[in-house]
Amino acid sequence: MARILVVEDDHDLNNAYCIILKNEGHEVETAYDGKEALTKLKHFSPQLILLDLLMPVMGGLEFLQAYDLMKSHPDVKVLIFTNMENSPEVAEAYKLGAHRCIIKSWTAPHNLARVIDDALHAKRPKNGSAKAAA
Amino acid sequence: MATPTHDDLPATILEQSADEQRARAEALFYSIGDGAIATDEFGRITRVNPIARRILGFKKSELIGEWFPKKVISVTDDDVPVALIDRPIIRAFLTGEPITEKTYYRRKNGQKIPVSMTVSPILVNGKPRGAIEVFRDISFEQEVDRMKSEFISLASHQLRTPLSAIQTYSNMLAAGYMGEVSSDQRAALETIINATDRMNELISTLLNITRMESGSIPVDMRPLQVGKLADEILQELALPAAEKSIKLSAKTVGNGPKAIDTDRFILKEIITNLVTNAIKYTPENGAVKVTVRLRAKNVLIHVADTGWGIPKYSQSQIFSKFFRGHNVVKRETSGTGLGLYLVKGLVDTIGGRIWFKSQEGKGTDFFVELPRTAQVSAGHDTAAGV
Repeated sequence: MARILVVEDDHDLNNAYCIILKNEGHEVETAYDGKEALTKLKHFSPQLILLDLLMPVMGGLEFLQAYDLMKSHPDVKVLIFTNMENSPEVAEAYKLGAHRCIIKSWTAPHNLARVIDDALHAKRPKNGSAKAAA
Repeated sequence: MATPTHDDLPATILEQSADEQRARAEALFYSIGDGAIATDEFGRITRVNPIARRILGFKKSELIGEWFPKKVISVTDDDVPVALIDRPIIRAFLTGEPITEKTYYRRKNGQKIPVSMTVSPILVNGKPRGAIEVFRDISFEQEVDRMKSEFISLASHQLRTPLSAIQTYSNMLAAGYMGEVSSDQRAALETIINATDRMNELISTLLNITRMESGSIPVDMRPLQVGKLADEILQELALPAAEKSIKLSAKTVGNGPKAIDTDRFILKEIITNLVTNAIKYTPENGAVKVTVRLRAKNVLIHVADTGWGIPKYSQSQIFSKFFRGHNVVKRETSGTGLGLYLVKGLVDTIGGRIWFKSQEGKGTDFFVELPRTAQVSAGHDTAAGV
């Protein structure tokens, strides 16, 4: 059981991840863009953030910069959840301290639960050494 | 490609006076629609056409008599000056062969411009007497390529978002998140899931092709054990093989070092495509074998199947975009004809080579040879850890 913040602008997907993660026993908060996520983080301290990259108002990369993950929150794991595999944006997210990248459209519910479980127990990789995972 | 010599010239030209020949050559040189610079055998600039002057921003008087490699600065994508020995004009003098490449030139005002150039040595009795370089500014083409890639990338993302929702909810329904489902309902859900998987693969392929064609696939060369990767891929493909009772096997042979410098993401895409194709185009109860041969200087990946094979008359086209063999179109309707085109491009990207042999009705053998040390093809981005 962990505290997880889901940041995803697509309401249907956001809702689906909530159902899957709550079903696994996690405590889940949601946000629909980076700015809303920063507001939520004033009152909610997650162990893991599931983060989309392409969002309105404030995208995932801007959020990572504003949140200052590596310096201010080194213990929080950020999983990038995107459909832009192998893109420069994903490379940039790793540089900003993201733990792993998951391709949304390749990830079945049971895999999502497993990947999150792995991430919660893993150490953060060195910058830029990780790869997109299904 | 051999450079024309004096002996190849028609008799009518030989009969012309030296002055007339010079005037004709001059007119020809100045009417070239791209930038053109001629040098003597030492690489000193002897002629410059107006387009070359406009591209480089120099006056004629600033170029004539100057040593070409010093005056026309060539830099890499990262703004590092290209070493003299790597400059095409030097290589053309050394090899006696024309060289075509893309590079960046620095204008007089310091601005970096992408150019596509061909330099040809002028050979007299096999000895270089000078060179002619023709080049053009490809800034506009690069910008169009960038915009095309950006558009496809965004379009793919927008297509995948609703597809992800369909896929996620179908998987949740099938997994019982919303209550029990009957076997008929589960079968229907699996049909939806399979269809969305195929749509996803198609979008991935289109996206990779766009990136490959524009040279914007990030390449991250790191030590990798190819045998281990092949085992991993075969595990992932065990299910589709089992559905057709196809025997899937992998082995690593040879005494060469286990790891090579290559890009894991790209090589995985290559092997996965080849094995997926082999499974798809092999009838039930057949076999697909992957052999990784570790050699001193390279690694050879051999994917062999007992499938329908490629008809001889169409073997020359199999790496072409949208090509599909006539014999398989009748049996397997779901292919796009993009897989092998992508594979060939990706193999080129990581400095390897690919070939095959095939016999209709017996099967196909694909071979991919990869160098031990990193050799990224020109025009591709490199990136650390994507």
